[in-house]
Amino acid sequence: MTTKTHRSPVSEFRLLTIPLVVFLLVFLGFPAIVNLVYSVSEVSFETLRRPEITGFGNFAAVWSDAAFWRASWFSFRFGLLTAVLECALGLFLAIFLAPLLERRSWLMAILMLPLMVAPALVGLMYRLVLHEFAGPVPYYLWAWFGASLSFLGPGSAFWTLIVVETLQWTPFAFLLFYMAYQAIPREIIEASSMDGARYHHRLWYIELPLMTPTIVVALLIRFIDGFRVFDNVYVLTGSGPGGSTASLSIYIYEAFFKQGAIGKAVAASVILFAASFAVLYGLNAIAARRKGATR
Amino acid sequence: MINMLRWIVFALAAIAMNFPILVTLSTSFKSARELTTNPGLWVQAPTLENYAAVFTVSDRLNIFLYLVNSFAVAALGTLLAVALALPAAYAIARGKVGERTLLPLIVNLRAVPLVIFAIPLYMMFQWLSLLDTRLGLGLILAIVNLPLALVILVNAIRDLPSELDEAALMDGATRTQILARVIAPLCRPAIVTGVIFGFITAWNEFLFGLMLTTSKAVPITVGASFFFAASGGGVQWGVASAVMIVGALPPMLLGLLMYRQISGSMTAGAVKG
Repeated sequence: MTTKTHRSPVSEFRLLTIPLVVFLLVFLGFPAIVNLVYSVSEVSFETLRRPEITGFGNFAAVWSDAAFWRASWFSFRFGLLTAVLECALGLFLAIFLAPLLERRSWLMAILMLPLMVAPALVGLMYRLVLHEFAGPVPYYLWAWFGASLSFLGPGSAFWTLIVVETLQWTPFAFLLFYMAYQAIPREIIEASSMDGARYHHRLWYIELPLMTPTIVVALLIRFIDGFRVFDNVYVLTGSGPGGSTASLSIYIYEAFFKQGAIGKAVAASVILFAASFAVLYGLNAIAARRKGATR
Repeated sequence: MINMLRWIVFALAAIAMNFPILVTLSTSFKSARELTTNPGLWVQAPTLENYAAVFTVSDRLNIFLYLVNSFAVAALGTLLAVALALPAAYAIARGKVGERTLLPLIVNLRAVPLVIFAIPLYMMFQWLSLLDTRLGLGLILAIVNLPLALVILVNAIRDLPSELDEAALMDGATRTQILARVIAPLCRPAIVTGVIFGFITAWNEFLFGLMLTTSKAVPITVGASFFFAASGGGVQWGVASAVMIVGALPPMLLGLLMYRQISGSMTAGAVKG
């Protein structure tokens, strides 16, 4: 077709990716190597540039650290519970409010507003909301029920954080589900109502199955974000009371910045890296198989 | 009847999810005296004294600096991410270069806890003297923004008819010229979306701001927490509330104005990634 010969197009495309690849190598590749080297080294702030490779002592230290396992368990429970709650609430809102939102899309902006605020600021805002003297929640609880709770005390801090995270991120799940709900082809819904299907039958047998892929994706995204939580937990409870609300991200941060335990912090980073890589690899393999099956 | 119920559910959800914002907004208008007597939502005698106090610079707290820092690092982190992602997105969408390696690698970055890179980046920045600089934090925020910027741009370019490229190739244009003169202008809506979404994400980032800055380059998310560090008489809730409202306002306004574009890009990574 072409009369002119061009430079091999693939090589010019390669050139266009070079800036990005170089940037990634410098800011992710190099740190990844530093992580790997330092995780098997004896290192302190004094010997930062001269790590001495000593073996797997750091990993052993992390592995036998009860705080590491407690943080892992916190992150897992936190990610799982918030993901399930956010998706359940978001699904309900998306389906129940759809008739309202279809006609007045600006209502969406109000429901999306929490997503625009920094989680760190939301966490700080809850310091005010829950404060025993200045906060409205204890104030109204006293006024209406004559009793309040110690929201950030032992035992309740975990659940307070769950509520804080869920209220901020339910809008995200809601948004995904609302978009998926709107994307269900009209003909399917019309055909089913012609066949006399009732509302809840249509919901259960037609609409929800069509939304299942989105539900799975939303659960995954929210689990991952809950698992790696840092900002709101850090400003709201630090890691307290007594380390009971330290997520893995907070564990790594504190090991490095508060205890100066560089080796331990880096080894924990490598473990987390390997774990997320394994999970992501598995998920991608499943997704690829599913795509192959449906297409 | 059922419609009435929908409105009630909407109102309850809107209030519950926006509750911290409402409380903070109301508290920011309360005088120091009212704060001690009225923790409720309703403000009896609204005042702007807290906002005036916020903008008085002290040697320890300087909200102007935090806001300028946030703006600078968010702008750098966003523009750099888009600038790096656009040519790569073109190569991925049209040349199928990196479609099976680079694209999934970066998309999955969205799911990796970035804290695992925090410590080596901290050391690297120490060697390069990038700690506590806007340039340093901006570079890291570009990494945070890359996954969604790339997904948005790849999707946008895939939606453009490839006849455009072929016609330009016939005229003797190189791929780089096509990208600059044909693709980039046509992708302007996607670029704008990527920039707005990236700006909000970068403005709201906290972890790297906390670790990589100490005084000169502190962003507002970190600076706001300084107002909570009890200095003698405990937290001044009115002032702290005004700080949080000021710090949350830019992304909230962007979000309210551009919610359509943002809802599309928020779901882009989820649905098509």
